[in-house]
Amino acid sequence: MRVNFTLNGNRVEVDVEPNEILLDTLRLRLGVKSVKRGCERGECGACTVLVNGKPAVSCLLLTVQVDGSEITTVEGLYSDHLFGELVEEFSKNFAVQCGYCTPAMLLTAYAFLNEALRKLLKPSKEDIVKAIEGNLCRCGTYPRVVRAITEVLERKLGKYG
Amino acid sequence: MIVVEDPRTLIRRWLSAESCIVVGKSIERSDSLEKALGRARFVEDYLEEGYLFARLALAKAPHARIKKIDYSKALEDPKVLRVFTYRDIPGENQVGYAVPDQPLLAEGKVRYYGEAVAVVVGKDPDSVNSAVENVFLEIEPLPALFDPLEAMERGDILIHESLGSNIAFRTKVRKGDVEEGFSKADVVVENTYRTHHQEHVYLEPEAALAIPDLENRMTVIATIQYPHLGQKIVSKVLGLPSSYIKIIAPYIGGGFGGKDDEGPLVAARAALAAYHLRRPVLLYYTREDSIQTHPKREATVIKYKSGASKDGKLTAIEVTIIHDSGAYANRGPFILWRATMHASGPYYVPNAKVDGYCVYTNKVPQGSFRGFGNPSVQFAAESQMDQLAEKLGLDPVEFRLNNMLRVGSDTITGQVLTSSVGIHEALKKLSAVSNWRVKRLEYSERRTGRTRRGIGVAVAWHGNSTSRAVPDWSNSYIHISRDGSVNVYTGIVEMGQGSPSSSHRQLVSEILGCPIDKVKVVFGTTDAPDTGATHASRGTSVGAIGIVVAAGRIRSRLESFLSEYYNVQREEIKISDGVVIVGNKIKMSWEELVALAYSKGVDLSATGYFFLPKGTFDDDAGRGFAYPAFSFIAIIVEVEVDIYTGRVKVLEVHPALAIGRVINPDAVKTQVEGAIIQGIGYTLMEKLVFADDGRIVNDNLTDYVIPTSHETPVIRNAIFVEDVWDYGPFGAKGVGEMAFIPMPAAIANAVSHALGVRITELPLTPEKVYSITKQLVG
Repeated sequence: MRVNFTLNGNRVEVDVEPNEILLDTLRLRLGVKSVKRGCERGECGACTVLVNGKPAVSCLLLTVQVDGSEITTVEGLYSDHLFGELVEEFSKNFAVQCGYCTPAMLLTAYAFLNEALRKLLKPSKEDIVKAIEGNLCRCGTYPRVVRAITEVLERKLGKYG
Repeated sequence: MIVVEDPRTLIRRWLSAESCIVVGKSIERSDSLEKALGRARFVEDYLEEGYLFARLALAKAPHARIKKIDYSKALEDPKVLRVFTYRDIPGENQVGYAVPDQPLLAEGKVRYYGEAVAVVVGKDPDSVNSAVENVFLEIEPLPALFDPLEAMERGDILIHESLGSNIAFRTKVRKGDVEEGFSKADVVVENTYRTHHQEHVYLEPEAALAIPDLENRMTVIATIQYPHLGQKIVSKVLGLPSSYIKIIAPYIGGGFGGKDDEGPLVAARAALAAYHLRRPVLLYYTREDSIQTHPKREATVIKYKSGASKDGKLTAIEVTIIHDSGAYANRGPFILWRATMHASGPYYVPNAKVDGYCVYTNKVPQGSFRGFGNPSVQFAAESQMDQLAEKLGLDPVEFRLNNMLRVGSDTITGQVLTSSVGIHEALKKLSAVSNWRVKRLEYSERRTGRTRRGIGVAVAWHGNSTSRAVPDWSNSYIHISRDGSVNVYTGIVEMGQGSPSSSHRQLVSEILGCPIDKVKVVFGTTDAPDTGATHASRGTSVGAIGIVVAAGRIRSRLESFLSEYYNVQREEIKISDGVVIVGNKIKMSWEELVALAYSKGVDLSATGYFFLPKGTFDDDAGRGFAYPAFSFIAIIVEVEVDIYTGRVKVLEVHPALAIGRVINPDAVKTQVEGAIIQGIGYTLMEKLVFADDGRIVNDNLTDYVIPTSHETPVIRNAIFVEDVWDYGPFGAKGVGEMAFIPMPAAIANAVSHALGVRITELPLTPEKVYSITKQLVG
């Protein structure tokens, strides 16, 4: 089946199987390596992509479902300023260990930050913890990820008490 | 020209280094950027157009004789190219690490539900996924054993007939006279503890990509913690010399021990397929395949009796450790050794009798997992310590400090600790910082209402390097390019711990005096020297000794060269942070020094090999040398227990470590935090559930639940006691496993404190805790 969507700002047209998941289309047909296979049942979050700006697990999406959508992976955010700041904080705060969950974790964090900054609402620590609850990290970088997100928020919206 | 090349002298020189430029600093990891940007490549990212796909067909019976493996239906799909079984192995099928009991692919019998039977290869994942369901085993079922206590006693059902018993391995430790020790005890505590299997859930499941060349020499890119062991196993299975096999461990998406056991096997299975097909093959495990087939943290039954006198001194321990080894010994004997030698906890115990049994059952094998047999035995030992303290009317911290090992003490194996024993100081500091005494009293007095708070302590020790006198070494190769960049080669892999991307670079930069961004570490490949495995917390502690030696040699050559060339004393030469100062006149950059050295014929390539000095262990007597050094940790945990639901929440964790020199404090803290979170998962949430036929029921991440951001407690800044180890790089000891080890005991002790009731079986799930707290609800 022919499917059209935007991948990281570029229009793509692919011929896919009706039962093909977006994860496989991205990895096997389009060579997007940052999207990782972890559990293939929507639990680990390693295959997270942004669909029209919102995080979604690409193992639970059929490619035909995203026809006409905008798909973003970290490859599409290299020149995005907010994403750059976030990556910087991840590195400074040692929020990266094995790195397998990291691109997905970053996408989730990036979408959350965008939303918070757009609404100019300062999320609580609990909100941050909740935002990343769907991204499993077996190395246990959670406290560092929360710190990295907090640092970006503080720079934009002022200090946390 | 005096060039110091002797490893011990070089190690000693940097041991006492005081003012450091990069060592001891939280220098950012060099790999975080490429990982964040999705540029870091893991095994599956090396896939290219036209490569073949493969999956394992797994056994669906716990114990049976194989009459026939029928895969004719699988081959009906034209996209399925081949199905390989044990019959296709050109070399040896025997891959047991400790005992020769394990086939790469089932042969003659299957011994657990989930055992690898065949490798199915096809042109695309879809056809391969269907084909694995069409591999059928014609079997003659055999009675299966699932309980290790029963398996030990049964002689009529044997999982490995040729061994004549279901006990795969025994260990023992003997010290003093336990009967006399117990006769001197004023209080005695005796319990049976049970711990359970834990699944690793590295986010990246196992995979291997085998690429044959024209002469069928093989490159295997695999999720593997020890490339050189993979090389040995692949060469054995294919019947080719090791030099024909190259193994690459690219970035690995978490290992925690699991990819030490399964890594060489996944590599060999992929290589087998590629060898026959002469085409690149990617063997991938689905999450379910991974959980069903790869070895797990050991399940144990531990009988523990300990006694202490009124003056608060331990008098004796008597311990029986039974490990449910599953179908194969795998690394079970090594795990049991470690459990046995650590059975006392880090205390001076005058009389000890410890017996270990590694027992076969028809379940998934036990294997390596952060802590390696130690968390379960420390859970028992540290639960005992709390109960002894209570009976004696002593504070648990005081009682522990009273018995703590110090420099000069001898352990239960009779090994005298001559240095690097900082646990007494660590626990003392921790108790003060965490406000232990006040909180302990406060929570004791507040045992009312729906939520109860508790505070618990546990300490642990963990021998560095392999157990007993088993040989262990470090190795590396360094060469400096003409532009001054430094190339370091190590067999250590990168699976999250960050040694190649942080501590290794820091050590090289510090020793050579070159800017840290000049240092590039090539890791995880058999093209580097055999550095041993990246396991046992040894990536930096043992793994980097060779780096210290190689870098130290080059530094020594540079100093000798400058001393001779400029006719100055060596003491007048300073090379630090990229700046070279000779006497009081000459100043040059690191790059200029390297260019000069090249032009004058100084050899700027060096290997660094160090064989760890060890004593001997007498297996028959159960006494002797156990480890070249011990890392230590103390943890204080605060919990809240909801007595209406039985839910335990870990609120705060305070860690203190005595791990020698800390090369990169933040990198070490991330290891500590990660291990704490994994330990919370193990203690409160995670447990593999087996069906009546031995199948793992919860073989996916919906049913096997691990900690998320919500289960993460407040983790206080770790306290470090830098009790340097004589052979460690700048005195560093191992850290990766440490914080996991005391977590089960610390949480259990805190829950006991909150409820006033002792639980001796893990995990502390809401159901289990509620079975106790419902009596408190009334």
